[in-house]
Amino acid sequence: MSAEAEFAPSRFSSVERSDRPAGNITAAALRFGSLIAFTAILIVFSITAPYFLSVVNIGNVLGQSAISGVLAIGLTIVLIAGGSNVVTGGIDLSLAANMGLSAAVYASLTQLGYGDVAAITASILTGSLIGLVNAIAVVYAGIVPLLATLAVMNIVSGLELVLTGNTVIPASTPCLSALSASDAFGIPILAYVLIGFTVFATAIVQYTPLGLRLYAVGEFPDAARAAGLPLRRLLAGAFIASGVCGGLSGILSVSYLSGSTTGSGEMLLPVVVTALLGSVFSRRLVPTITGTLLSALLVGFLGNGFQLLNILSTLVSGVQGLLILIVVSATTLLRRQEA
Amino acid sequence: MSLTTSKAANAGLHGIIAASLLRYGLILALMVVFAIFSAITPTFLTLSNLQSILVNNFTLLAIISIAMTFAVASGGIDLSVGTVMDFSSFAFVSLVLAGQPVAIAALAGLAAGALVGAFNALLISVIGVSPFLATLGTLFIGRSVQQLLTNGGNPVYLPPNGVPDFFRFIGHGTLAGFPVPLAIAIIITMAAAVVFARTRFGRVALSIGIQPSVVRYSGIAAPAYTAATFVLVGLIAAVGGLILTATVTVYIPSSGNAFLLNAIGATFIGTTLSPLGRPNVGGTALGVLLLSIVANGLLLTDLNFYWQQVGTGALILVVLALSFMNRKTSGGA
Repeated sequence: MSAEAEFAPSRFSSVERSDRPAGNITAAALRFGSLIAFTAILIVFSITAPYFLSVVNIGNVLGQSAISGVLAIGLTIVLIAGGSNVVTGGIDLSLAANMGLSAAVYASLTQLGYGDVAAITASILTGSLIGLVNAIAVVYAGIVPLLATLAVMNIVSGLELVLTGNTVIPASTPCLSALSASDAFGIPILAYVLIGFTVFATAIVQYTPLGLRLYAVGEFPDAARAAGLPLRRLLAGAFIASGVCGGLSGILSVSYLSGSTTGSGEMLLPVVVTALLGSVFSRRLVPTITGTLLSALLVGFLGNGFQLLNILSTLVSGVQGLLILIVVSATTLLRRQEA
Repeated sequence: MSLTTSKAANAGLHGIIAASLLRYGLILALMVVFAIFSAITPTFLTLSNLQSILVNNFTLLAIISIAMTFAVASGGIDLSVGTVMDFSSFAFVSLVLAGQPVAIAALAGLAAGALVGAFNALLISVIGVSPFLATLGTLFIGRSVQQLLTNGGNPVYLPPNGVPDFFRFIGHGTLAGFPVPLAIAIIITMAAAVVFARTRFGRVALSIGIQPSVVRYSGIAAPAYTAATFVLVGLIAAVGGLILTATVTVYIPSSGNAFLLNAIGATFIGTTLSPLGRPNVGGTALGVLLLSIVANGLLLTDLNFYWQQVGTGALILVVLALSFMNRKTSGGA
């Protein structure tokens, strides 16, 4: 987690509030508390479900988390650049629908006989176009992101239905088979994709001036404007980046499910939870790419553990809801204590 | 978003004309949409179809959107209005199946809605969670609880002969030729307008939405008002859940969420009517009317069913864009 230590020089935190040891301790307690909770969950599952801690199972969880992980990383970028206020700040509700449409575009093109290169290009293009529409609606029309992306979500999922007729479109190409395969140790290639993409996104968001600017635009827009940063372009860029993530995860989902499927909208809430939970795994309780990866894995392990223990899958949604509430309540109460 | 600062200073006369055009854009949009559908479909402009728009499209969405208007006007949002509908419907159906009188069952339905609202209020006012996250959590938990209650999401039917007459009357009856559910929706809408305009509660709720700090400094217990607002949202949405149940005589888990997006859309479309871009009951009602006409009209055209969703989404996006540009030019909110 040295990532944020790099990007957050001390003058930033002193703008927010004067350094208070008590505040740092509580924040640290929450952060370590969340890591401890994560470890505790892993330990409980590995004791109760012997298969849980096997390399193959962990690889599977990583692979299964790839689609939602890439989506959550896209959402994290929007959260960073849009600010932490959930209603007026950054959010992209069109991501899950974006994934569905991009997957449908990929599958339809392969059905029409196009090759992998054309299909991959088209999927990513679809994703970035959706991101562009979001960017225009939010940055240039000035619509609150929550509403703009809600409307775009509806349009996109409608387009997906138009394209697929609400049916499953099978797809199998060399590239898709390669993506959905496993390596010699039984670890899915998708797991490596997730790790690779996280490293890539972390490098850009946490270690480059561009990433630092995104944080500045989100948290201190006035200071960012005074410093001469192109706020609109940065925010628009964040939405387009998120759209590209939607396109990428569309490709991953086509390979994972061997085609496009209906009901991509179901992914939305888990992805929002993952991205919002991610900030608990960061030192200053801000969204970070690595934090989002950890939270994607936490959500993945929870679902997997429940499955192995034969706990009702219907409970997963409730547990996720409880998780948001507990985490957000804890952070809110801690912040109030500090203030 | 502080990015979209107002450019009102040098907008001048053009700005004023543009702003007033945008301000009455909602009424204009209503007329245009109405004219288009009257022209391109033979059945749109018939008495029975217009009545069907009001009863089948307008009624429920209006009630849920009025609930949403209270949440948004007080500076929040409620993503759990659908959950509230589901729980009130479930409470009602289970009690009727258990042999309780309709009145008791209906009261229990309302209580269930108020309870969900109180849960939101607890999270928002006492703990201080933002309304978006609090109600998102409620939405999630509500989904799980409903699946647990129904063995994984099975519908619960009221037996055909077990539906009490009075309840049938609420869902399908007419009073002197006027549909009862529509009458309930109109009464709720008018009552909401009175609450906002004439009561202390309504004015404080609106003020919390505009300037929460000023309300606090005035010595008003803002959290208590916010809490009451969310309980009220739950109550109103519960009425919607009961009417839905009375119409279809079945409880389907998580069916209320279908109204969520449109209720948010209608509320924000309605803000275009206010010079400051604030939520208001009249605007919400017109927003619901616009969405109802579009939904009905698109159904009458030969358009592919799936294109209708695209069309509705695009329409909401355009109206929202106009609404927020309006806000920028007039320098409000």
